[in-house]
Amino acid sequence: MAISLKENLIIGFSDFWSRKIRSLITIIGIVLGTMSIIVVLALVKGINQQTMKWMLERGGLSKITVSRNWQYQNPENVKTYFTWKELQLIRSLIPEAKYFNPQQRHWVRQSYADKEYRTAIYGVLPDFSKIEEWDVEDGRFISDFDVEQSNDVIVIGTTVKEELFGNKNAIGEVITVEGRRLNVIGIMAFRYMKNSGAIGNENAFSYLNRQTFVPLSTMIHKGTGEDEISRFTLKAQDVKSAPALREKINNIVLNLRRGLPVFEVESAKEEAEKMAENQKMFSTIFYIISVISLLVGAIVIANIMLATIQERTREIGIRLTVGARRRDIFFQFLVQTILVTTIGGIIGVILGLSILDIVSNFLGIDLIASINMIFLALLVSSGIGFVSGIVPAIIASKLDPVEALRYE
Amino acid sequence: MSDIINIAGMKKEYKMGKITVPALNGVDFIINKGEFVAIMGPSGSGKSTLMHIIGCLDSPTAGKYYLNSELVSEMKKGKLAMIRNKQIGFVFQTFNLLPHLNILKNVELPLMYAGLSKKKRTQTAKKVLDEVGLSDRLKHKPSELSGGQRQRVAIARAIVNDPTIILADEPTGNLDTSSGADILSIFSELNDKGNTIIMVTHDPAVANRATRVINIVDGLIKDGNIS
Repeated sequence: MAISLKENLIIGFSDFWSRKIRSLITIIGIVLGTMSIIVVLALVKGINQQTMKWMLERGGLSKITVSRNWQYQNPENVKTYFTWKELQLIRSLIPEAKYFNPQQRHWVRQSYADKEYRTAIYGVLPDFSKIEEWDVEDGRFISDFDVEQSNDVIVIGTTVKEELFGNKNAIGEVITVEGRRLNVIGIMAFRYMKNSGAIGNENAFSYLNRQTFVPLSTMIHKGTGEDEISRFTLKAQDVKSAPALREKINNIVLNLRRGLPVFEVESAKEEAEKMAENQKMFSTIFYIISVISLLVGAIVIANIMLATIQERTREIGIRLTVGARRRDIFFQFLVQTILVTTIGGIIGVILGLSILDIVSNFLGIDLIASINMIFLALLVSSGIGFVSGIVPAIIASKLDPVEALRYE
Repeated sequence: MSDIINIAGMKKEYKMGKITVPALNGVDFIINKGEFVAIMGPSGSGKSTLMHIIGCLDSPTAGKYYLNSELVSEMKKGKLAMIRNKQIGFVFQTFNLLPHLNILKNVELPLMYAGLSKKKRTQTAKKVLDEVGLSDRLKHKPSELSGGQRQRVAIARAIVNDPTIILADEPTGNLDTSSGADILSIFSELNDKGNTIIMVTHDPAVANRATRVINIVDGLIKDGNIS
């Protein structure tokens, strides 16, 4: 025959209302705590998604990259690049790789009519477009035939196109690169990704739009004449088989250089996992800070509740006298504390969600809210009420009615 | 007449650190249904302790206490709360109303702990407040009432659950003479209607209203059963 939860809530509300200032201060503490939880959760989620998006936009998780290992000083003076022959050997050893693209890069001056633009030019194979999941928006990309014939063709990024041609048509025109005349056969699709970090809202992919591409054979045979390729990328059949393929390539590459770590073999999947691992530590620190601030809040609330109970000793005595049982008193105070922190939690969630945009603009990172976070924040705030309310509620329920009635 | 209170060999000791202080040294008495009993004694005589035990707010160290044929002296605390709720109505010298509740809510309080519905509670509380002449003050807070009115609210709260006994502890102690007389008249009326009333007082004039006086000195009853 205990009094109902509804009854306790009514008592809780009226107690809450009759002590407005104290309730308000308590609520503010919880509001700030819950707000920070929401922001931190959204921040962590935003950063994680940003990283994942970056990975996916740069060729997905089945991509593997082999490049010079700059941490290796090369004391043995072995070759720090692959020759075309070596690359052909590597390709033949990994038939399971879906796409394969060695590449060479140079900084060159490119000109059309009276316009000039300095930018990066890459010697690539047709697979480049497949690996990067990036195609032309106009014209065509480099073909196997172009590579076989070492054709004088070039594919340009949108920025290069604008710099050299403006609004004019570029396909079929001729660009001069280091004295050699190249036919523009395609314009790459425009790439855009919102920047993360302190740089602001610029396009993080703007450097891609400044690139130009020629057949690797054209670059080697007609351009630099150097048969030195220090980087290649490839794609596994799927994400699952990427780590095994990475391991295999790593062994091949090591064998080619007497076991010396001249090259670095990275799989995007493992990269992503490594990044996620790093971010986990980062977010754990965030969580710990939030939890500590909420614990401080809980201690403050417990303190307030203890003071409240002392003030209300006589009231407790009166309630006991007219028939309240210990558990009625216990629940009265526990429900009241949980009520206050939950109200604080709800306000905190609402305010937290409404300041996400501001924080997002300030930090330059997309903050992502989800339903789970809202539930988590509410759970935590009512949990705080429970934790901070339980000891005062026990103390209140243990009061001796005679002593409590005498209390002045 | 049936006995409503039967107390035998009741002792109560308080431990204060290492010293044991006796408050009741073996008290025996019977109170019958419909009696109006005054418990008198100087301060420190043990009358407050006795009242707390009769009111089930405290338990005796030794002895037996039957209330309405139930052995309450050996009941657990949860059960005692129910006894307080259903069988006992308290009236205190200092009124002991909850200051932040209006008087209707104050009177409803015992009914709430009895588990009555909101509607039933309000109905009953209004009826009782009408009986003590306060039906026009339902929404007032205790602080907005005079001492005599507050004590009438306290009486309403005491009788709202239709208790077996009404316990009053110096109910006129904080009141002026005329308000005090009013309150005593209410008690007399309640007694006339058949209610059993036990009143602790040190004022012989107040005790005169009772049908019987129990004198208590040093934790013992003196000439207890003489009417």
